[in-house]
Amino acid sequence: MVLDGVDLRLEAGWSVCVCGVNGAGKSTLLKLVAGLLRPDAGSMRLCGSDIGSGGDAARAGLGAVLHEPMVYADLTVLENLRFFAGLYAAGRAESRIDELIDRLQLAPYRFDRAAVLSRGLLQRLAIARALVHEPAVLVADEPSTGLDAEASGILLSILEGFTAAGGAVLMATHDVEFGIRCCRKAAVLDGRRICFEKDVCDIDAAAFTRDYLAYARESR
Amino acid sequence: MKHFLSGFNAVFLKDLIAELRAKQVLPSMLVLGLLIMWILRLASSTSSIDLAVTGPAALWISILFSGLLAQERSFSVEKENGCLEALLLAPVDAGTVYLAKVAVNLVMLCVFEIVIVPAAILMFRLEVSDWPVLVAVLMLGNLAISGVGTLFSALVCGAGARGAVLSVVVLAVLMPVMVPAVFALMVVFGAVPAALVGTGALAFVGSLGSALGYMVAFDAVFIAACWLLFGIAVRD
Repeated sequence: MVLDGVDLRLEAGWSVCVCGVNGAGKSTLLKLVAGLLRPDAGSMRLCGSDIGSGGDAARAGLGAVLHEPMVYADLTVLENLRFFAGLYAAGRAESRIDELIDRLQLAPYRFDRAAVLSRGLLQRLAIARALVHEPAVLVADEPSTGLDAEASGILLSILEGFTAAGGAVLMATHDVEFGIRCCRKAAVLDGRRICFEKDVCDIDAAAFTRDYLAYARESR
Repeated sequence: MKHFLSGFNAVFLKDLIAELRAKQVLPSMLVLGLLIMWILRLASSTSSIDLAVTGPAALWISILFSGLLAQERSFSVEKENGCLEALLLAPVDAGTVYLAKVAVNLVMLCVFEIVIVPAAILMFRLEVSDWPVLVAVLMLGNLAISGVGTLFSALVCGAGARGAVLSVVVLAVLMPVMVPAVFALMVVFGAVPAALVGTGALAFVGSLGSALGYMVAFDAVFIAACWLLFGIAVRD
């Protein structure tokens, strides 16, 4: 069993960062929330609908950035975003795509195939893909992976804009500093359970980061 | 319905664009198909069997094996970069994805046959007695190959030797429809020897009408079953 008795609530406009060492179950938690894995017991609900069996409405409300970019290598940046917008029957797709391409600074690569993009650019495309249908909840597993400082800043501003517009973010990361900067709540997953959960404003960020890193070293 | 149409269109267009750009499948299908037919034509030239009898069999062998190439590719692209997970996350029913993939494979087979059928007619000196029936037989066969192949390509896409596994499984499942398919083409090419009707492997087919009936029934049953099973195949 990877997770046991995990109880997590996300309100509109919230962002929660889940930290944990390798194997703590962060990715499993995110895949469960995204509906890619089915729990042996318990449920994940989005606005009252069960995510696993809740059908189109529940799935349309979720966007996910997971370990792999989940984009098609033979399609261009623009074609990938158009494909995912079509898949979600997203309204005002073209203006949304233009907006995301501009914000993630993908305009010079608009007509480049995903196969030729660098790791960082692929990650930016993955973020655009996850947001193209304007989901209510964004599930992000290590979203800052492969991003340089500038792109991390862009991601930070996108996540802030997303939550300010009423979206909710559930993020798993090893980058505690980035997580604390991005999120309103921080949680630590350990031994299959959430062992720590607090508002970021109630945490001394420097002390939390130091303590977490020490804990991560001990857990190895 | 909104998600069905948008999902179907999105997957269908995406696969076509990806294939047109990569140009991986159609050229391979054409080379393999023409090679198979050429080898079988050479073998037939040393035998006393009527070319109009071996021609339909050669044509179906060529379509079957070349079709497998398209089907294998149709799901291997979904495994790259975790794209299959993105499809599963979307509010699109797995059955819709299945139908779009079947439609793409059908288009690929039809394009392939635009070249391979005239090639077969020329190589085996076949005479088409009824063009609409020829098209109908080919379309029914294409539906069977695409319908079954798409499901099994999803099932084996995680397997190491997926090409080999796919060939073995799909060919075995398609055998019941290949018998009436070969028989129907023999009739279309005016090559059913009277002695063959009602005897041997073709005994159960009987007539062109019943051959087409078997093919329609096979397509209906297997496509419905594959459509229902596809969700389980991709999720589990």
